[in-house]
Formats: sequence, C-alpha cells, structure tokens
Amino acid sequence: MKHFLRVLTQFLVFLYCKCLWRGLKFIFRKVTGRCELQRICYNNKPGARRTLKIESSLKCSKSELLQNALSVHPDAVEKTIDDIMALKKINPDTNPQLAISLQASLFQIVGYRNLVLEVEKLRREPYDCENPDHEEMLMKLWKTLRPDSALTGRISKQWCEIGFQGSDPKTDFRGMGLLGLHNLLYFAEHDKAAALQVLHDSLQPKHSKMSKADWEKQKFDKAIGYSFAIVGINITDLAYSLLVSGALKTHLYNVAPEMPSLMHFQQTFCYLMQEFHRFWIEEDPCDIMEFNRVRAKFHKRVLKQLKNPDMALCPHFTASDLHLVNL
Amino acid sequence: MAAAVGVNKQTNAASMELCVRHGRGTTGNTVKVLECGVCEDVFSLQGDKVPRLLLCGHTVCHDCLTRLPLHGRAVRCPFDRQATELGDSGVWGLKKNFALLELLERLQNGASNQSGMSEEALREMGECIIRCDEDESHTASVYCTVCATHLCAECSQLTHSTRTLAKHRRVPLADKPHEKTLCPQHQVHAIEFVCLEEGCQPGLLMCCVCKEYGKHQGHKHAVLEAEANQIRASILDMAHCIRTFTEEVSEYSRKLVGIVQQIEGGEQIVEDGVGMAHTEHVPGTAENARSCVRAYFADLHETLCRQEEMALSVVDAHVRERLIWLRQQQEDMTILLSQVSTACLHCEKTLQQDDCRVVLAKQEINRLLETLQKQQQQFTEMADHVQLDAGIPVTFTKDNRVHIGPKMEIRVVTLGLDSAGKTTILFKLKQDEFMQPIPTIGFNVETVEYKNLKFTIWDVGGKHKLRPLWKHYYLNTQAVVFVIDSCHRDRLMEAHSELAKLLTEKELRDALLLIFGNKQDVPGAVSVEEMTELLSLHKLCCGRSWHIQGCDARSGTGLHEGLDWLSRQLVAAGVLDVA
Repeated sequence: MKHFLRVLTQFLVFLYCKCLWRGLKFIFRKVTGRCELQRICYNNKPGARRTLKIESSLKCSKSELLQNALSVHPDAVEKTIDDIMALKKINPDTNPQLAISLQASLFQIVGYRNLVLEVEKLRREPYDCENPDHEEMLMKLWKTLRPDSALTGRISKQWCEIGFQGSDPKTDFRGMGLLGLHNLLYFAEHDKAAALQVLHDSLQPKHSKMSKADWEKQKFDKAIGYSFAIVGINITDLAYSLLVSGALKTHLYNVAPEMPSLMHFQQTFCYLMQEFHRFWIEEDPCDIMEFNRVRAKFHKRVLKQLKNPDMALCPHFTASDLHLVNL
Repeated sequence: MAAAVGVNKQTNAASMELCVRHGRGTTGNTVKVLECGVCEDVFSLQGDKVPRLLLCGHTVCHDCLTRLPLHGRAVRCPFDRQATELGDSGVWGLKKNFALLELLERLQNGASNQSGMSEEALREMGECIIRCDEDESHTASVYCTVCATHLCAECSQLTHSTRTLAKHRRVPLADKPHEKTLCPQHQVHAIEFVCLEEGCQPGLLMCCVCKEYGKHQGHKHAVLEAEANQIRASILDMAHCIRTFTEEVSEYSRKLVGIVQQIEGGEQIVEDGVGMAHTEHVPGTAENARSCVRAYFADLHETLCRQEEMALSVVDAHVRERLIWLRQQQEDMTILLSQVSTACLHCEKTLQQDDCRVVLAKQEINRLLETLQKQQQQFTEMADHVQLDAGIPVTFTKDNRVHIGPKMEIRVVTLGLDSAGKTTILFKLKQDEFMQPIPTIGFNVETVEYKNLKFTIWDVGGKHKLRPLWKHYYLNTQAVVFVIDSCHRDRLMEAHSELAKLLTEKELRDALLLIFGNKQDVPGAVSVEEMTELLSLHKLCCGRSWHIQGCDARSGTGLHEGLDWLSRQLVAAGVLDVA
C-alpha cells in the first residue's frame, strides 16, 4: 500500500512537470495577458527573490534562446534581452520597466557564473615564490597586520605570530592557492580594525575572565586560541564551497545590483571571518581541537540564513560600500 | 680428517707387521681379538678405531658406534641388542675399553722388541752399555784418557798397576772426552772446521788440509766446536720451546675436560660447614639450558591456556547475550501473537452480534485496529532493522584476543609535521581522490574499511601549536601513522625530534608505528633507505614493531601496502585470508 502510494506520488510529480505545469503556465498567460517573466518581474521585489525565480524559469524553459541566455557573455546581455522581448512579443514601449529589470537580473546571473570561474581560477593558481607579485602581496599582509615589527626574513618563525603553521607560509596556501592570500589581504586592508581585533583575540588565551596567575600559566600552553591565517584559509574554503554550491546566490543577488565581482566575494569573506570569530567566542570550545565541529555548525547556520531570499550577509559595511540594490 | 686417516694407515701398517710376526710364532687368534667385531678393522690406540665399551660388555670401535642408529638417546648393541644410554656427548661419552688398549699397546711393544734384535736396536743398546776392552763380559765404568780404552774398575786396577801406567788419567765413563773424528779424505787430520757454503751442504765437515788445499779451498768456514755449541744451544732452546708447547697443549686439553664436565655436570664432593664431605649433584650447563627451554614453554603454554580461556569466555558472553536477546524477542513475539489473536477473536465476536451492538462496538474496534497498526509498524521497522544471522564470525588479533563481528575495529592516529600530507592521505584512502587540502585546524576523523578491518583514522593537525595536543589522541591507539614529507630535507630533523618525543610517550608504548615517507613522486625526494639512515630509525624504534613505507598520496601508491603491514601486525596470521 505504502509502496503504491509512493509510486503514485512520483508519477503525479512527473505528470505535473511534464504537462500540467506547462498547461497551467499557458492558462495563466491567457488569463493575465503576461508571460511568466513578466509575472515574476511585476510580482517580486528586486533582488534575490526576483533573480532566483527568473533563473529557474529560464533554466526550465523549452526555448533554446531562453536557456542560452543564462550562459551568455556579459557584452551580449542587452541584445539577448531585445531578442527575448521579440520572442515573447512584448512591446518595449508599454513595458519599459520590464526590460530594465530583466536586464539587471540577467547581469546578476551571468556575473555570478563568471565570478565562480574567476574564483576557481584564482584558487587553482598555486603560490609561487618566484613571482614578485605574490611575494609583494605576502609582505603587504605582514606589514598591515604587524606594522610595528619588521620581518626578519622571508622564511621566519615570525609568520607563526599571525597564525601560519610553519616558518614558510607558502605551504599553507596549497589547498586554496592565491585565493586565500587575496582574501586575507583584502580583510587586512579594507577591514583593518576588525582584522586586527580578530588577530589580537586569536593571540589571547581562551578565557578573558581568567585570573592573572592562570593567564601566565596558560600563556605557555601554546594550544590556546586559533590561528589567524590558517583560520582565514579555512574560512576561505567555507566561502568557496558556499559559492560553488550556489548558496551565496541569495546574498550576492541581494547586494550586487549589477554583476557580482570578486570584491563582493571578498566582502563576504570579511563578513564570514567576523561572524565566525563571534561564533567561536559564543561557542567557547574548550580547545582548538573542536575547530572542525564549530566550523561545521557555523556552516550549517550560514546555509540556513541563506535559505531566506531576503538575506544579505553584510550588516557591517556602510551603505556606500555595499552599493545596495535600490531599484 | 686427513690426520685421522694418516694415523689409521700408520697403525694398520704396524698391525700388519704384528700380524705377520705372530703368524709365525703364536696362533692367529690373538690378532682376531683386536679387531672390531662389526667392521673387522683393527682397533687403534686413538682415533676412529678406538675400542669403546657398551653397557652389555661388548666392545665396538668408535667409528661403528657413530654409525649405529639412535633409539631416542640410546644405541643398541649390534651383538645382543641391549640398549646403552648415551650422554650429552653421544658416542664420545662412552668409556674406552682400557684393558683392550693396554693389551694392544703391550702387543705392539712386544712386536718391536722381537724385531729389534737387528743392527739398529743393537746400536741403540751399544750406546747405553759399553763393554770393557779387556774382558768382553765386563761392563766398562772408567776411561783411560792416555790409552784411550774403556775399562771396568777391576781391569783398570789390573792393567794400570805399574808405576808409569798408574799415572794415567782415568775418568768416569760419563766424563769421557769426545773423540776427534778424522777426516775421511785425510785420515791423519781430525775434523776441525765446518764449511758455510751453500753448495757443500752434504759434506760440510773438513780438516785443515781440506780447508787450505782440498775441495773447500777458499770457502767460508767456522770452527767445528763453536758451530757445534751453537747448534746445541739452539737445540736446547727448541727443547724449551717444545716443553712450553706441550704444557700449553696439555693445559688446553685439561680445559677441554673441564668444559665437558661443566656441560655434562655430575657428582662433586663438597665439604659442608661441619667438615663432613658428601657428594652433591652439580647441574651442567646442558641441563640448565634444557630446564630454561622447559620453563619458557611451560610459561608459554600457561599463557596460551589463559588466553584460550579468556577468548572462550568472550565467546560465551557474546553467545549468552545474543541468546538472551533472541529469547526476549521470541517472548515478545509470542505476546504480540496472543494480542493479535485476542483482537481477532474480539472482532469475530462483534461480527456475530446484532446491529445495535456492532455500532456500539465501533469505537472499541477502531481503537483495537489502531493499536494493531501501530504494532505492525513497529514490527516491520524492527524486522527491517535487525539482521537475523546465526553466524558468529570470529577473528583473532596478534596477541590472541578474540574479536566477534564481521569487521575488526582499529584505532589509528595520523601525526606528522604540518603540510606533510596527513589529510591528503586520509582522503585518498577514504574517497580514492586526490585533493589539495587546506591546513587542518584541529583534526579530521574518518573510518576506512580495508579487508576485514575497519580503521578509524584520526588525522590531527601538525601545526606547532597543536603538537602538545597530540597526546589527547594517544589513549587506546593501536597504531600511529607518522607522515614525513620526503622532499623537504631541511625539516627532517624537526620530524625526527617530534618522532623521538612521540616514542617516549607511555600510552604509545605498545602501539605499532608506521612511517609514511610521503611525496615520493616528487623528483629529488629522499628515498626510504636514506630516510631510515638519516633519522637513524633502527636505533630510534628499537624494541617496537615499526615499518617505513614510501608512498605518494597523489597516485595512492604505497598507502595500501602500509595498511597491509598494519593489518599483518594486528591480526593473527591466516585470518585475513578467511575474510
């Protein structure tokens, strides 16, 4: 009986997807006199809500033009919009708003795809000691985070102070490539106060309420607190997996009015760093060994937040920084 | 061996002679007695053909005895099949037949005496007894230096009775001056010189004529007396040497006897405190060694028995638990069945009742049905969940503990410096894919199933700060996997010090150590042998089971060999093949 019901449900879902859905769409179209894209644009606020729906509508369309619109080159977006208008027989003069909305959404969709490619390319590029650009970035990171003390050498134990594993930071960039370095540098440069705060806290013992004697004792126990740089690389991994899985779409469609760029991704990283730091203190794990558990919990929480289409992960930036959508 | 053969030949020759001579005089039987009854070879005083006495009184030669088949530790006499127990030194321990040996010796001496009446023997005798020159029947005792005659005391008185002759100097025979030997070429001249030329070796003695005018003219020479004295001195020296050498040899053979005694052990006379002597049994080293072996195996046997008992009790406990659970289930099922049948009965009863009552009973029936459905659901859930299998799979660990269940669980901790490749190895083993991981903060844990083993691998970050925390992962760890980056020569010493620290941990005392030399695919990587040398692993890991395995996490070569090693160490031999 149960089994039969399951099969029946599957069949009905299949039927809906195949015929009924199209039928319904057809009926709606006839009744309202608007096509699906129009309906989405008029009924939804701009931002992730609208763009996500347009994206799924285009993806499921049987028209090749609409399907290809998702992977079109940014320069060809305007032409594509004209084509769509022609295909759907919408008069641009009577519906001036539609073309603009559609174009903005399409820019976001295409931009996101390009961002994924760009980030992936950056991640795959390994850190190269021979490359002066890479070296310069690394030095800049040190100067920003530790303006008071000079680095004794390219390979030095001092790197451990800002939370690299060994005396050569190169080895820590293996998984995330240059992306890790770019993110850390962006965080240190554009959100310097927060970065220094996080670094400062990471060097402190876990319990701030601890008595002085305990503090002295624990100071030598080097296992306390997490390490700024490698946590940064771990959070980069988190942000990267969010981006690739598509979970960041909600956030990026909400914050980027036009094409989302690397800068947006890096801002997201900064936000995640700060949030994670706060979360870590809230969780108050007994030692660094719980990092993976805390990280998994944090990941789950962020995913849950991003389920909400109105969500944007950026309350710490000023409005001018964000270029929030104000259409 | 060659020497023994030589001795044999000699004695054979001697006895042949003996045989011939006896054949002439006495019966041939005496000769027959001195042959071994088995091989019919003649006995000898020493060597292979030495006669040895058996317990039954028969005498067999040593050589034949060694060829007799052993019955346990005894040999059977070839004449009457009586057994003779052999000691630790085997045939060598049997007593020689000394009576026979004495007889043999005497026979040989007698033979030489009989034949000795030849010139050689006479000459030897002549040297000892010098007859008186006056009367053949007297024995000389003095020597007259003037008349150059040997005289007995009587004859000396008689011959030298006149006044002139009485002045002759007569000395005891022992002090008789050496006679001058005359030169064979020039009869009037005595030999006074010795030629030193190489070419004159056979006729090197010469008189003054030979020296000045004869065949040794112009040759290098020495005075005869001086040369003789020199040779005498050297002979004395040699004699001294021989004496010390004999002493050494006899000392050595005494020592051999002592050692044989020490090995065999035996009775020894010991004086106790009161001064009463009594014999005491002193155990030999052979006995000690034997008792040592016995003790060891007894111990082993005991341990095995204990382990067997323990393993059986584990199985018993498992079976008991399992049976209890099954019985419980059985009971539950019976109860369920009765419940269901009551419900059925109730329903049937209701069916037969009149309309009004049926309607009234509706609610109750519904309730019944509901509970029934619930029970059914529970039942199907349980039936899905529980696997009914009568099999009790049993595996054994290397230390003879029994493990029940299809998979044996093993706890492994992966350690090493940062960026050595611990996480990469873990994910390669887990998902068989290579990925560049991000630095591990804290740890990763995965279970990897391999053959019939289930490895729970804890991969702990290698960062400096984390290293003091490694110790929290040591408890109940059966194996430590230490990963070393082979292409980072300058960090090998750091790895060495961490490894050394690790090995001093008490909780890891019994843990296996598997060292992965990772990144072997990178050109210029340190080879496994070199790494063993550089880290002086043989010294470092002395006394524990360890293994170094070159690997490369990118392609995964070497990883499974490492796990194979681990499983071979953990699981008793042969069990792996069963799975």
